[in-house]
Amino acid sequence: MKAFLVDVSICNGCYNCQIACKDEHCSNDWMPYAKPQPETGQFWMKLEEHIRGTVPKVKMHYVPVLCQHCADAACMKAAPEAIYRREDGMVIIDPEKAKGNKAIVDSCPWGVIYHNEELDLPQKCTGCAHLLDRGWKEPRCVDACPTGALTFGEESELDLTGFSLLRPELAGLPRVYYKGIPKNFIAGTLYDPKRSEIIEGAALTLRSPNGENLTAQTNGWGDFWFEGLEGGVYSLDIHASGYQNKTLGSIDARESVNLGDIPLS
Amino acid sequence: MADRNESTLTTGEKQCVVGLGFCGPGAGSNTSVADVKDGKLVRLRPLHLDWKYDPKQFNPWKMEARGKSFEPRLKSLIPPFSLAYKKRVYSSNRVLYPLKRVDFDPSGERHPENRGKSKYRRISWDEALDIIESEIRRIHENYGPYAILPQWGGHGETKVVHNPHGYPNALLNLMGGYTFEVRNPDSWEGWHWGAMHAWGMPPVGQPQSANCMLDVARNSDLLLFWGCDPETTPWGIDGLAATRLCYWYSELGIDSVYICPDLNYGAAVHADKWIPIRPGTDAALQLAVAYLWITEGTYDKKYVATHTFGYDKFEDYVLGKEDGVPKTPEWASEKCGIAPWTIKALAHQWAKLATSITHGNGGPGIRSAYSTENGRLEVFLLAMQGLGGPGKHYVKMIEWWQFCQQNPMPNSKFFPSIVAAMANMPKVRRFNMDGGKCAPPASSPPPPAGETGKDGEDVGPMITPPQFRSVLPKNLVHDALNKESISFYGTARVGAPIADQFVKYTFPAEGCPRIHMIWTDSPCYTTCWNDSNAYHQGVRNPDIEFIVAQHPWLESDCYFADLILPVATKFELEDIDCDPQNGQHSLVSYQKQAIAPLGESKSDFEVVGEVAKRFGLYEKFTNDRVVSEMIEDGFYASGMAELVSFEEWKEKGYAVVPTDPDWDKVPPGLRGFHDDPESHPLLTPSGKIEFFSQNLAKHFPDDEERPPVPHWIEKGISHDERISSERAQKYPLLVLSNHPHWRVHANADDITWTREAPTCKVKAWDGYLYEPLWMHPEDAAARGIVDRDILKIYNERGAVLAGAYVSERVMPGAVSMDHGARYDPIVPGEFDRGGAINTITPHNRTSRNATGMVCSSFLVEVEKVTEAQMNEWKEKYPEAFNRPYDPAQGVCLAGWLEEGEL
Repeated sequence: MKAFLVDVSICNGCYNCQIACKDEHCSNDWMPYAKPQPETGQFWMKLEEHIRGTVPKVKMHYVPVLCQHCADAACMKAAPEAIYRREDGMVIIDPEKAKGNKAIVDSCPWGVIYHNEELDLPQKCTGCAHLLDRGWKEPRCVDACPTGALTFGEESELDLTGFSLLRPELAGLPRVYYKGIPKNFIAGTLYDPKRSEIIEGAALTLRSPNGENLTAQTNGWGDFWFEGLEGGVYSLDIHASGYQNKTLGSIDARESVNLGDIPLS
Repeated sequence: MADRNESTLTTGEKQCVVGLGFCGPGAGSNTSVADVKDGKLVRLRPLHLDWKYDPKQFNPWKMEARGKSFEPRLKSLIPPFSLAYKKRVYSSNRVLYPLKRVDFDPSGERHPENRGKSKYRRISWDEALDIIESEIRRIHENYGPYAILPQWGGHGETKVVHNPHGYPNALLNLMGGYTFEVRNPDSWEGWHWGAMHAWGMPPVGQPQSANCMLDVARNSDLLLFWGCDPETTPWGIDGLAATRLCYWYSELGIDSVYICPDLNYGAAVHADKWIPIRPGTDAALQLAVAYLWITEGTYDKKYVATHTFGYDKFEDYVLGKEDGVPKTPEWASEKCGIAPWTIKALAHQWAKLATSITHGNGGPGIRSAYSTENGRLEVFLLAMQGLGGPGKHYVKMIEWWQFCQQNPMPNSKFFPSIVAAMANMPKVRRFNMDGGKCAPPASSPPPPAGETGKDGEDVGPMITPPQFRSVLPKNLVHDALNKESISFYGTARVGAPIADQFVKYTFPAEGCPRIHMIWTDSPCYTTCWNDSNAYHQGVRNPDIEFIVAQHPWLESDCYFADLILPVATKFELEDIDCDPQNGQHSLVSYQKQAIAPLGESKSDFEVVGEVAKRFGLYEKFTNDRVVSEMIEDGFYASGMAELVSFEEWKEKGYAVVPTDPDWDKVPPGLRGFHDDPESHPLLTPSGKIEFFSQNLAKHFPDDEERPPVPHWIEKGISHDERISSERAQKYPLLVLSNHPHWRVHANADDITWTREAPTCKVKAWDGYLYEPLWMHPEDAAARGIVDRDILKIYNERGAVLAGAYVSERVMPGAVSMDHGARYDPIVPGEFDRGGAINTITPHNRTSRNATGMVCSSFLVEVEKVTEAQMNEWKEKYPEAFNRPYDPAQGVCLAGWLEEGEL
């Protein structure tokens, strides 16, 4: 069975995947797998942008989102007569049989099936099945990816160590695996207002809502970064030799937090 | 996808190799494959180099450092606007037939005042050529040849035989000359007019950087991306190899620090630290870093003693001995907006760690007012830490030219120059590589202006022979059109000798007329040059009797033309292209004609050829060659015949130049100067890095805007664009304007699918896709602005509309808007809806005697446009607001055609 592997940590946000999909599927008819995708507004491959933090502690990542080609696909259950799985695992909405069946759009918990108004047709990623049939080893989005963030191949041959799912809470056994999706961070800069200098080498302890303690040190910029955090309320103990200890409580990390430049005395 | 059999992969489709770079003829990149069926483009995709060859033939390189390795991919790394170029080919904005402005009558009323307002109607090629012929004859008779200004240059499709830039010049040259519009160093101003006086380094003031990337990988610990966006400018010029390199450097543990007002696209994914700096204030930060190194004794005193000249005067200025103001971190902090402790951290980290600076050209600082000062100061800081030593370089993430010691990546065996294929190039010349150094053979003809030369040698057209008696820097065209006479220092030509910067020119030159006709093949002044509202006033002047534009798309300057000629895109023509700067493997490609020309379009070569025939000059213009012979000449001059026969190359569509087996033995960057400055003198009077420029002291002793030792210039006679200015009471925000992320300058603004990205266009409540203005949430809240609002950005020079992109990606006090959005005039010369921010950039040159342009870091105010305000404008300017508009592609041909013309 074929699967996608998305390494978000090397996705530079070029949008080639989203655009290659449109280049292949807008105005081109690939029956029996797909009728043309509308020119605008629908994204069988969609790049999502995420901005975390505040100036100057801001980080970005991009997440390509596409049909998950679920092993236990909700859409197939909703319309077994119109949706089938190819031998290679790609889930296909049959454009002939699915015409007018809007319920297919609603059946997908991932929101990756679009309703083509003009054709009155539910549509989504086909894994470029028409190209795989011709001997292509990968769909257009993967071919156009410059960094290797997107890979496609036999599920058994992909390096899935440490993978996660985009939305683990959803059932369906997706066949799109993700790596490197960052979680939230808490970051800041320590400085000495009297000397007007950053403080390097300070020891920080972040107390997590689950009672776990994480530690970090300030670097040569006076910066500390706690990354990979789950949402929740944290507190931070700051210890730097020669300065009074400081504790910052009630740090709400529902989103990433920049604590700013923190003076120590 | 190794070992593919493409014929089965693209059943029933014709495959055409096509270069989709944007740098220019002979500097191609982004080689792609177009699949074509039934005369239509089906898809565009990367070229897999192993399609027709065994990769062993290319001798793939490998960089090894710190236990890790980095290798090229076996496919081209093309950017989104190349991938989506099909939309540009079939754009609703394509010019399909010759067009004439409805109220332009060459034998009667010409109505120049309606340029930018009036619509167009279709005419025949014969009628168009009749008008051009008679206008040229009339202008020549009345004023002489120098009254014609061909506007050209800039970037675009990398056609070579069908070169889109400069054929009108070539023809006019055969007809007695013309006024030579010199493309000023628009991406390098501060280095060209500043750094050149610190370390020489023509053609643009950037240093030799051969083989630097390996040395960075092995020896640098800190990379300062100073106004550099490796995820923007390299894309259209080189491709996306820089993206992969940045990830590798992070993997090696090299600290990537971005110093820029915005979290640019590189910083967004690669930065370990972002230091936001107020636009245009880099010099203040640089002076404070120098102050700390001097007062703390943490610079390389020995290097300064042996490699530099005039350091004492610099130290006096930094410490305040000259002006009573020590350039402390606190002093700098007020100006640049960076906390003093962060300035100190930067100075300390830089002194401690082997540090290189990276650039991607452009950037907010180097195109600012007084950018000569930060351009020079950067050189001094690098020198104070031992420039040229292990891991200590100035490296570029762009323009990985494989000649003139410019390529920091592994070199190919030779640089495959194909410019011999240009119609106006006689046969045959070739560039030879010699350990990363190259020189055109002595007998070679001069390349077109704008090409780079080696060490200070003037390899472009000479400045003063008769055919270039009348010269005009492009950034001063607005003044030349509006004023009786102007003067300036230097032609502003990339590649001119440094000494040219001390020569005073006037326009009109003695005995020459003013401009009375414009012939443009690069209609992008509006959106890429400076204060183009003033340019628009100039081109609506009755003295400009005739304007003809030739271009594939009806955009920007085209609206001011009396005649517009349809030009075919690359896909519609047979040509040759090269791809020598992608940072992976160099190649030369045969460009099969993929599809038939759209409408009645012709190539630029064919258009100018038709005009040449009217004057009996066709044979001379083409050097008596046909297209297939030009392609053949390009191929043989490139050196590719050593690798593959002409027939095999044509059949396969491309051939790859193998990697130089000794690529890693090239000394990195300025290692020669570092190790032995006496034997490797720089092109300064002293041969060393000049803290005190002897040339500036000699030629401009009283220039307080560019003194011999660089200064912080708060304001001067040329510019008053600081937040300390009285003007800032009215215009409190500083615009930073980068080279565009989703375009290459003016190219590719109409691509349906890039326009869907949230930072490409903002769809506002009226359905129009506006150019985004990035604004920090604090500044937005203070003005009642929310995301996707329509905004008016304005200063004394005019107003531009935009869509609000409210984000933490820009520092408070600064707003960011890329240049290059297509013009959609509401009031020509005053008010634009399309987002061409350059309509309101500063008017004056870099400084009194530095002939650069200023198009970033200037004062504006921004306000929210209410529905009532919009309705008022719609009522007042119905023609502008009722023009047909294509929401997917933006301004379009239908908007400018007389009713019933489509």
